[in-house]
Amino acid sequence: MIKMLTACGAGVNSSHQIKDAVEAEMKNRGYDVSVDAEMIKDVTPEMMKGVQVFLPINKPDLGFDIDIPEIDAGAILYRMPAMAQPVYDKIETEIKKIQA
Amino acid sequence: MNSIDVSLFDSDIVYVSKANSRREVFKEVSDDLFKRGYVKESFLDNLNTREDAYPTGVDMTPVSTDYPNVAIPHTEANFVYKRKIVPVKLENPIQFHNMIDPSQKIEVEFLFMILNNDPEGQANVLAEIMDFLTQTPKEKLLEFFGSDSKTDIFNFLENNFTKVSN
Repeated sequence: MIKMLTACGAGVNSSHQIKDAVEAEMKNRGYDVSVDAEMIKDVTPEMMKGVQVFLPINKPDLGFDIDIPEIDAGAILYRMPAMAQPVYDKIETEIKKIQA
Repeated sequence: MNSIDVSLFDSDIVYVSKANSRREVFKEVSDDLFKRGYVKESFLDNLNTREDAYPTGVDMTPVSTDYPNVAIPHTEANFVYKRKIVPVKLENPIQFHNMIDPSQKIEVEFLFMILNNDPEGQANVLAEIMDFLTQTPKEKLLEFFGSDSKTDIFNFLENNFTKVSN
């Protein structure tokens, strides 16, 4: 299981859409991925422990540095394959690195 | 397959606004939503604070350069009582910042304000809005964006959201 985290301002709409979309697409591609959807203001260094990929939506300032891969996931929100595909491909690339 | 709740829209909370600023339209709509019991009184403050920190403008040019831009203002779940989409047609375009790149400013002509008290709920409201915007036939959607009639806006959304696959 690969653990990822995404976050948006309200923790209600955007982050949940990213979570649903990434989990579904990665399942289709044969990977076991779990994405936490959080409010940006709630994200702490402790919460990031164990997270392997961060999927920011809106270029947020978390207020602390992280040392895991970050992949801009905002384009997924459009639900248009041409926009989402490159993001999914980047995520898959990171998963392969983690599994290597 | 989730069934789509047609009650995502209510005919009494559809707005056509002459406001000239974001704060003005947020106040106009929030005051009415509060009066009708859809949101808490603190909704307006949270809506503004959130929009300042985490903008919700959606640049529509990736979908079609013919479409006006939209925005999807919303608050955290505990400021609202219901799960609804509140359509607001803006007669005067209003500036918002781009949701996925807050450094960009865009002119917005339509709001899909999201009231979401249940983030884990069956269908993702934002996904429903994006499917509507990307899958509705272009001529129909342009006609919708051009309408100033609350009744037409409501009827179009009711008819077209239910036809969008989830």
